[in-house]
Amino acid sequence: MMNLYSYLIISLILFVVGLVVMIARKNIVAILLGIELILNASALNFVAYSRYVTNNLDGHIFSLFIIVIAAAEAAVGLAIVIRFFQIKETIHIDEATQLRN
Amino acid sequence: MFLQLLFISSALLTVLCAIGVLMVKNIMHSCVFLLGSLLGVAGLYATLGADFVAVTQIMVYVGGVVILMLFAVMLTGGKDFISRAQNLLGLPASMGNKLTYGVGLLVGLVFVLTNIKLLMGIAQTIPSKMINNEFPSTVSQIGHLLVKDHVLAFEISSVLLLGALVGAAIIARPRKQN
Repeated sequence: MMNLYSYLIISLILFVVGLVVMIARKNIVAILLGIELILNASALNFVAYSRYVTNNLDGHIFSLFIIVIAAAEAAVGLAIVIRFFQIKETIHIDEATQLRN
Repeated sequence: MFLQLLFISSALLTVLCAIGVLMVKNIMHSCVFLLGSLLGVAGLYATLGADFVAVTQIMVYVGGVVILMLFAVMLTGGKDFISRAQNLLGLPASMGNKLTYGVGLLVGLVFVLTNIKLLMGIAQTIPSKMINNEFPSTVSQIGHLLVKDHVLAFEISSVLLLGALVGAAIIARPRKQN
């Protein structure tokens, strides 16, 4: 039961749900939530392969760097969301149509 | 036995909370479901023997990223965000209602007590699994790898974090009133 394939199936479900959240939701913060789910799916894949296939700790290092990059991405993304709300008074994704101003 | 129970509960928590993120309309409830899903992923890391990654997941994601998301949701809620907020009982004011606090306290107490009963029963039935550590600790090996093999990526990630923090502070600064 606890083998590589069960972890891969969980990771697949996380990835697909994150992708559907990114596509279907119209809120910018919800799109960021979908990105977090996708990053978690990839990090889980790295650690699962590191446990069952390669038997060293390089997957753990990759997973740690994925967590670091996700934190940086969340900080910058939420700053952009707050700035967008200051200008447009909404966080609907269809309102984001121009780069300047 | 304990590992399989942890695996099943973590997998169910991860998948159900991820589907909850997808299905729930309210963005605040969506953030709370994301918190549950990230906790489940941390439990899956623990079943894979990645103790340092699991603790880092809980500290960075649950303690940092989800709180940041909740701050962003509250800061960008708009005017009618508070008035539309309702809890599961349909009460309008979800902040500072005596009934909601009482029900929350009761549910938390029942949850904690039943879980303590369950976990103590499991720990008493299989003491050997708890004492004989199945996975060796990975912290010292990860430390050695970070400063030997992956030192370039480590330094670049520090520069990336500095740039991201400065950039976020510059982007989100208040607008000049002119």
